[in-house]
Amino acid sequence: MIEQYTITTTPKYNFPQSTPNTTLPQRFIELSINSLRQVRTNAFQYNPQTMQQESTTTDYPIQMQLKRQPIPLSPKHQETTVSGVDTSTIKIGETTTGIIVAIRGATVHRQNHNYRYTRLGPFIFHITEENKNAVYNSLERTYFNTPYNTHQSTPPLMQMPTRLASLLEHWLQGNLTKTTCSGIILFDGSLTSGTIDTPTSRMREILSAARRNNNVVLAFSKATSMRSNGYLITDLLPEGEAPYLLETLGLRFKAPTIPLGDVYVARLHKANMAFRLDIDCEVPVQSRMEAVEKLLGNDVMQQGYPETLRLAHILCTFTANEVLAMQHFITRRHGIQIVNRPDMHRLLFGPFGREGYA
Amino acid sequence: MKLYKKEGNIIQILSFPTENAEKGDYLMVEDADAAKTLIVQVIDVQFAAVPGVLEELLRTLPDGGEQIQGEDIDPLEIAPHITYIQDASLLVCKIRATLENGLLNPSSSWLPSRSQSLIKKVSVPALMKLAKVDGKLPIILGGTKDSSLLTIDATDLDGTLNIITGKKGCGKSHLSKLLMASLVGYKATVVIFDLNGEYGSIGMTNDGKRNMYYDKIYALTPSQNFKVALNQLHLNVVLGILVNALHLPGTSAREFKHIWKQLKDQGKLTLAELHDAIRNCNCNQHVRDALASRYFSLMNSGFFTDNLAESTLLEDSLLKAKESGGAIIINLKNTGNIDRQIVVEYVLGKLVDSLQGWKLKAVFLFAEEAHLYLRETYWDDIVTRMRHFGIFTTFITNQPDTIQETIYRQADNIFLFNFTNEHDLDIVSKAARVDAETVRSIARDLPPHHCLTLGRVVRDFPMVTRVRTLDLKTMGETRLFFTVQN
Repeated sequence: MIEQYTITTTPKYNFPQSTPNTTLPQRFIELSINSLRQVRTNAFQYNPQTMQQESTTTDYPIQMQLKRQPIPLSPKHQETTVSGVDTSTIKIGETTTGIIVAIRGATVHRQNHNYRYTRLGPFIFHITEENKNAVYNSLERTYFNTPYNTHQSTPPLMQMPTRLASLLEHWLQGNLTKTTCSGIILFDGSLTSGTIDTPTSRMREILSAARRNNNVVLAFSKATSMRSNGYLITDLLPEGEAPYLLETLGLRFKAPTIPLGDVYVARLHKANMAFRLDIDCEVPVQSRMEAVEKLLGNDVMQQGYPETLRLAHILCTFTANEVLAMQHFITRRHGIQIVNRPDMHRLLFGPFGREGYA
Repeated sequence: MKLYKKEGNIIQILSFPTENAEKGDYLMVEDADAAKTLIVQVIDVQFAAVPGVLEELLRTLPDGGEQIQGEDIDPLEIAPHITYIQDASLLVCKIRATLENGLLNPSSSWLPSRSQSLIKKVSVPALMKLAKVDGKLPIILGGTKDSSLLTIDATDLDGTLNIITGKKGCGKSHLSKLLMASLVGYKATVVIFDLNGEYGSIGMTNDGKRNMYYDKIYALTPSQNFKVALNQLHLNVVLGILVNALHLPGTSAREFKHIWKQLKDQGKLTLAELHDAIRNCNCNQHVRDALASRYFSLMNSGFFTDNLAESTLLEDSLLKAKESGGAIIINLKNTGNIDRQIVVEYVLGKLVDSLQGWKLKAVFLFAEEAHLYLRETYWDDIVTRMRHFGIFTTFITNQPDTIQETIYRQADNIFLFNFTNEHDLDIVSKAARVDAETVRSIARDLPPHHCLTLGRVVRDFPMVTRVRTLDLKTMGETRLFFTVQN
C-alpha cells in the first residue's frame, strides 16, 4: 500500500496535516462521555494533590559503557521539518467508586522558523474498578484492530491515568510517523520497549513507519537514571565544546525490556546540560548524526533541549485554571456535585499533616 | 456571583462573565437567615486571581512574543469553561447600607453568609425607592446604565452647598443649566455669575425659538443694561468694593466713609458730587490721590451711573423672580478683572441686603470659576454666613484646587464629572460626604457627559448618570480655528 502524505497548501507554509486516522479520538470521546455518565449519581471530590504525568525513563540496563570521546556536531541548516509529540494526564478528582482523570496530547511542527501545533483533548474519564478493564481494553482494541486479551495486564486503578496517556501518546506518535516525510520526529522519553505500557510490537511499528517515510526518530529523556560506573550518564560530560554526542556501548537490558534505539548523551548547547538521547538503532549511524545536526540547524535549542518538544510538553500540560475549568465542566454538564471530604492528614496531625512531611 | 471577602466596609465579590457587573452598579447581598441585606456599590472591577492563568498566557507566547499558531481539537468543549474561569472577575464593592425590616441604615458591622448569601443587581429606581428619594419636586438628571432615570428632589438642593466639577468639556455647564432651569421651573430665584456668557440664551431653544423659560430669564450685562446709581448703594457695599476689589488702604477708607456720609446727608450722592468732594477734601495729599484713583476706577468701569432709570434692572428682576421664579444672569464675559470683582461685590451685597430685609426668601447662586472674581474671605462668608441669609451656592469649576478645602468639607452635594488627574481627585475626595475610593475609582472612568452624583440628593448612594440633553440654546462651546465647513 502506498501511503499518501497529507501535505496541503496553507497560506504560508506546508505543515504536516493532522492525522487522517480519527478512530482513536472517536473512541476516546465515546468512552470519556460514557464513563462520565456513569458517575452522575455520585458525589465528586476535588483532589488537590493533582500531579502531572512526568515521563522519567526508569529502565535500568544491566550492562553499559559510556564512550568518553565526544562526537562533535555542527548544525546543518538544510530545511527540515522538526516534529514533536507529548501527552499529559492529571487526576482531577475522586468519586466514591473511582477517579476522574484528564488526558491531553499535543504535536508541534517547526518549519521555516515557525511553529504550529495540534492539541488533542482534554479527554476526561471516570475510571472505576468496574469499568477500567472495559475502558482500557476497548482503547487497546481500537489501536491494534485486534482483540486485546491480556486481562492480567490491565493496570491498577491508580496507574490508569499514565497508561491511558501512553496509549494516546503512541497513537499520536504513530500518526506523526505516517504523516511526516523526511523529517525529524522528537519523542519524549526513550525508545525502550517491552515494558507494560510500551509493547515491543507497537514501538517497532511506529519506528518502522518513520523509516518508511524517511524520518528519523530522536527520543529525549528529560531525566534518566542510567548510570555508568555509578555516575549518571548525563553528569559525565567531557571538556569538549558543545554540541556533541557521547556514545554508549554494550547496552543490555533485563528481559523482557528491549531497547529499540541506541542511547547517547546529547549536549547540544554550551549550557552545561545534557540529556539522554535514544536514536532508532535501525537508522544508519551517518544518518543519525545528520539528523541531530539538522535538528541543531532547524530548531531552537534552549538549554540543550529542542524547543519543539518543549512546546509540545507545555501545550499539553494542564494548568490549575484548566483543572478548575474541567471541574466546572463536570459539575455543569454532568451534574456531579463537588464535596469536601475531611483531609485525614490535617485532621490527625494538624499543621504537621502537610503534604511532603514524612 | 459569590461573596468572597470582606475587609472593613469593602467587600469582594466573585463574578463570572455572564453576570456582567460594572463600576457604579449596585448589588444586594441578601442573607435570608439573618433577614438582612447589604447594599453595596461596585467601585472597581478586577481580574479574579485564578490559579494557572499566568501559565495559560505564557504558553501562547513562546516564539519571541508572537502567538503560536495551531489547532485545538477539543471534543468535549472544555475551552468555553476555561475562558469562563479565566475571565472571572472580582468586584470590589463599597458597603453603602444595610436593609433590615424595610429600612436602610448605614451599618456595615455584620457579616453575611459567604455560602448562603444571594447576590443580585439592584436597579436605580428600586434603590431610590428604598432610599425614599421620591420627591415632590422632581428634577430628572438623566439616564442610568440600566436605562432608568435618576430623579432628584429640588428640595434637596434647598439650603445646600453644591459643587459641580470635572475636567474641561465634560458637561459641567450643561448640568448647571439643567439644575438652574429646573429650579426656575419650580419658581425659585436663581442668580448666575456667568463668566463665559453662555447662560444668556437659556430662554431659547436650540433652533432659536422661545422656550418656557424665556420670560423668566433676566440677562444683565454690567455697564450695558446693568448699572448702579450711587444713592442705591449702602456704604458697606461701596466700602467692600473699594477695599476688597480696589484695595483701598484703611486710612483712605476712613476718609471715604466721612465723605460718603456727608454727601448722603446733603442728598448729593452722585458721581459728580463725589468727584468734587474728593478733589476738595481737606486731607493728606496721598489719601486724596488714593481716593481719586479709586473714583476713576469706578467711573471707568461704566458700571455706575447717576441716571436712576438705568439702575433699576437688578432690583426689578429680583422682584419679578420672587413672584414667579426666574434666573438673573450676570454676564461677566466682557468684564475686566477689577470690574468683575466690583460687580460681584455689588451683587452679593445687594442680595444680602434684600435677604436681610426679607425682600427675597432665598436665592440659588450659581458661581462659575468663582476664584476668578471671589475674594478669599468671601468663600467662608458664602458657605456659612450667607447660607443663613438664604444664599445657597453651587460652585462650578474645572480646577477643583481653586475651591478651598473647607468648602469641600461642607458641601452637601457633589456632581462629579470625569477627572484623570490624581491630584484633582484627591482634592474632591476631601468632601465629607464622599469616600476617597469611590471618587478615585469611578470618577476616573466616567465617559463625557456622565456624572457621579454624591450627597444628599441621592441619600449618599453615589449614582452615575448620563446627564440628559436640554433643548436650550448653548453658547458655552469653545470657538475653534479648524471648524468643519458644511
